[in-house]
Amino acid sequence: MPSFQPAAVNSGDHDGYWKHGGQSSQIHHTNPIPPNYQSPLDLNSSYDKFQDQPTTASSEGANLHLPPPPPYPPPATAQQVNQMTMQTAPSPSLDTKRVSKLQIPTNPRIASNLTFGQPKTEKDSSTSSPAVKTAYIAVSLPNPSEKVPSNDAANSILKPGMFPKSLRGYCERALARCKDEKQMAACQAVMKEMITKATADGTLYTRNWDMEPLFLIPDEDTVNKDGSPSSTNDSSLPKYKRSPRRTKSRWEPLPEDSPVLVSNDTVKYSSWLPNQKDRKLVAENKENKEDGLRNTKFSPFLQRTSNKAPQRAFKKQRLADASENGDASSDSDKEQKNNHFRKRNAGAGNLYNRRASALVLSKGFEDGVSKAVEDIDWDALTVKGTCQEIEKRYLRLTSAPDPATVRPEEVLEKALLMVQNSPKNYLYKCDQLKSIRQDLTVQRIRNHLTVKVYETHARLALEFGDLPEYNQCQSQLKTLYAEGIEGSYMEFAAYNLLCVIMHANNNRDLLSSMSRLSLEAKKDEAVKHALAVRAAVTSGNYVTFFRLYKAAPNLNTCLMDLYVEKMRFKAVTCMCRSYRPTVPVSYISQVLGFSNVAATSGVSDEKDTDALEECSEWLKAHGANIIADNSGDMVVDTKASSTSLFVPEPEDAVAHGDANLAVNDFFARPPL
Amino acid sequence: MAYMSMGEAHRRIMEYLDRFSDAVSSQDGASFKSLFAVSSNSHFLLSLADALNIFHDAPRLLKNSDNYSQFSDIILPLFRSLQSYRQSNLLEAYTAFEKAANAFIQEFRNWESAWAMEALYAIVYDIRVLAEKADRELASNGKSPEKLKGAGSFLMKVFGVLAGKGSKRVGALYVTCQLFKIYFKLGTVHLCRSVIRSIETARIFDFEEFPKRDKVTYMYYTGRLEVFNENFPAADHKLSYALEHCNPKSEANIRMILKHLIPVKLSLGILPTNRLLEKYSLLEYSDIVQALRRGDLRLLRRALQDHEDRFLRSGVYLVLEKLELQVYQRLVKKIYIIQKQKDPSKAHQVKLEVIIKALKWLEIDMDVEEVECIMAILIYKNLMKGYFAHKSKVVVLSKQDPFPKLNGKPVNS
Repeated sequence: MPSFQPAAVNSGDHDGYWKHGGQSSQIHHTNPIPPNYQSPLDLNSSYDKFQDQPTTASSEGANLHLPPPPPYPPPATAQQVNQMTMQTAPSPSLDTKRVSKLQIPTNPRIASNLTFGQPKTEKDSSTSSPAVKTAYIAVSLPNPSEKVPSNDAANSILKPGMFPKSLRGYCERALARCKDEKQMAACQAVMKEMITKATADGTLYTRNWDMEPLFLIPDEDTVNKDGSPSSTNDSSLPKYKRSPRRTKSRWEPLPEDSPVLVSNDTVKYSSWLPNQKDRKLVAENKENKEDGLRNTKFSPFLQRTSNKAPQRAFKKQRLADASENGDASSDSDKEQKNNHFRKRNAGAGNLYNRRASALVLSKGFEDGVSKAVEDIDWDALTVKGTCQEIEKRYLRLTSAPDPATVRPEEVLEKALLMVQNSPKNYLYKCDQLKSIRQDLTVQRIRNHLTVKVYETHARLALEFGDLPEYNQCQSQLKTLYAEGIEGSYMEFAAYNLLCVIMHANNNRDLLSSMSRLSLEAKKDEAVKHALAVRAAVTSGNYVTFFRLYKAAPNLNTCLMDLYVEKMRFKAVTCMCRSYRPTVPVSYISQVLGFSNVAATSGVSDEKDTDALEECSEWLKAHGANIIADNSGDMVVDTKASSTSLFVPEPEDAVAHGDANLAVNDFFARPPL
Repeated sequence: MAYMSMGEAHRRIMEYLDRFSDAVSSQDGASFKSLFAVSSNSHFLLSLADALNIFHDAPRLLKNSDNYSQFSDIILPLFRSLQSYRQSNLLEAYTAFEKAANAFIQEFRNWESAWAMEALYAIVYDIRVLAEKADRELASNGKSPEKLKGAGSFLMKVFGVLAGKGSKRVGALYVTCQLFKIYFKLGTVHLCRSVIRSIETARIFDFEEFPKRDKVTYMYYTGRLEVFNENFPAADHKLSYALEHCNPKSEANIRMILKHLIPVKLSLGILPTNRLLEKYSLLEYSDIVQALRRGDLRLLRRALQDHEDRFLRSGVYLVLEKLELQVYQRLVKKIYIIQKQKDPSKAHQVKLEVIIKALKWLEIDMDVEEVECIMAILIYKNLMKGYFAHKSKVVVLSKQDPFPKLNGKPVNS
């Protein structure tokens, strides 16, 4: 069963929306267990909480689908459906008004399905030519009606003579494709035949019409009878009922989707439709089945939906999981983790929903709205770069990477060397390194080179004081080291410790970082230094701190730099409180790391006077009261200063808090 | 596994189903509870699992009866979980159990009274335990353990069901405590905050109305959180509450509370007796207490080093490390007392070099600057009253109460 579960969420959604739309009367009597209602609602709220983007996307979706001028406007289509249903069975038909009304609550929900973004959607969107799309609009109704298939089935068994809603949906879809009366008639004939046949072999209620491929319009009946596995599955339990849909690959092309139809609406949609070439590409691909996906021609195209970094997608995935688990009627998570791809492949509801999502999705990314696309088969999509340029500016990808602009590993190696030896400034190097990182990422290269790149970037960022960039590198390095790729593990363990001490101010994190250190690590010089710094910081021992500051290995100093100001101020506050009557400025200068020369040595060279000057400037800036003592040396009057100390506003403060982004810096940046 | 006939298996499954529907119809919480405790290894459930492994058509049994079919969303995954648990397939046991639990929650919402609270407790407990087991299985297969995290989000949902008004609220604290256990285990204690806020800001429900057991656990965990925050008075209050209300017979729990309460008390200047440490086998603290009594810096440092891993893991390392200042205070006080015996008129002047010598005697090598810094900090933190004269390198102590006792107040920071 496991592989069959995920779609439960989808149907649950519709359920929920259905209810929102105030159209729940039909469901109420079919649903034996009231609590089922609550779960989809819950799901809604969790969406809202976790994912903002889909919300906007959904409203967009609604707008998109609502005012559709399809070749056959919805009422017409609905009439056809009525006709159809009248022909085949005396079932309560939906009146046209209602059909169009129903679309309103339905569509946004479909769009929200984007939360579970599907790679397939991209293909779907391209597969659906404008005409098909418009057809879709007319048929968006069936989606909600498939909400709990078992209930439908049960319902129809209870009331003989009524066709399953999914079948009605199927008919609508089939008819909606038709271009003219002739086709319409042909379709009706085919359907009639199908229904008669299905009734005869008893699969009318068991077959999953939502998954049933539509037959080709020109009267060749290519309906794949095998495509309805449900005919063998007679279990009346809800869960098992849903299963047939999932056994079919969602990658499987729909025969009716041939992108041949063109309508006036093309113009309207063309702005966000894949271009003609893409469409042709997909048309080709449609011939292939599942493996068509692996087709290289296909991959860059698919990746357009996946331009977000993989981690992000996985994060979303986790969130998505959480909400999926939240659905009582969903048996979803069984193999989510171990068979990601297959699950997505087989799972996730109705094809038509997905097409709807695809429309919104494609629209979405044209608008630059980011989408969570967590179920990409990354192996199939990995780019192999061909670019031979060593230098490349960083540009955040907004579409699938083009192999022609991606550098292969050996070029990246040269690029790294170039950056390392470049005399240019940090901003240039940062830009270059980011583009190297990007190329590594899109090609999924994770090896010693990756580690080297991140290490190099982390070091440069530290030297420059670019903490956000450093943090990015550090977290990448953490996972790279954890994967067993060699690098300067100790050096970065020390940085990590220092970072936690200086910035996180979080004892819990500190403790866990400390307990994670191996014995071997604790013997390492850099790590030992970091640990000593930690002890000095927690005890407020400024003497030790500044001694360690001067004896710091690697770039430990750079991280300590960020704490120096704080430590100095604490120290002076402490001194003013405990020393009486005075403290010599020379002593403060020496203890707090302004000068290197011990005050007692008596040597007072130029450098020392500079340091002294700097120290007294600093003291004054912080409100200390400096006087001259009997021998004319500068001393701090501790009693007077103890009440007057303050932390001045940093001079280089910028409103957005990141001095690196200062406009001046931007202008100072040399043209590349 | 003893041989079980098909008929016997059928009988057992039917018995379970009967118990289930009886419990629901009579709202019998106690017997309902026993139907969910998968990890309890109760004979009843184990033999049911065996029966299920023989008799494969349980779904049909369920379906055919109106009594049970409405609960099939709960029972079927629960059966699957039991079967897998019996076969030591813990991952599958957890996954199926979570499904059953989700379905249960849906039902639970609709029951107006809180009669099934005991069963909910059993589920909440089991989902955590099964998740831990599943994670161990995952880790041993080299996969990333993530089920406990999943259990955490499930419990958050349960919390949401309970946290509102009404009779069900009484169960919220139990769920909170299970969440704490998960978060502490995963090292994601920051997630505790939202739950705590919801518990502590609720005006409609008095904290004291929760079951005692849960109050003790809750206070224990929130006390530990306060230890992380170095908010010692609050930590003291919470852990002391837990200690007072803890069942005196559950020594393991008392020991756990003391493990965190002792460092907190130490940092407030309150030392435990050796008897206490012995009784609850917390002897790792005895050297530290000794060091505080004697002003023996070396002993303190050695004790910290010896038990570093343990203290780091229980999260008290940084607290204990901070005791160093109190040890310095004790040391200077000792010097002061000795000086007073020799020459009372000059006792309040402690020369830096004397302190350095005393430290050297403890085999701790520190130079003038370092010791001067320590003295400055001692005065700054009000562990010593007086001032430091830089020129003459002398600590001049106040004549009145030069070494104020903390007496339950935290060291100034």
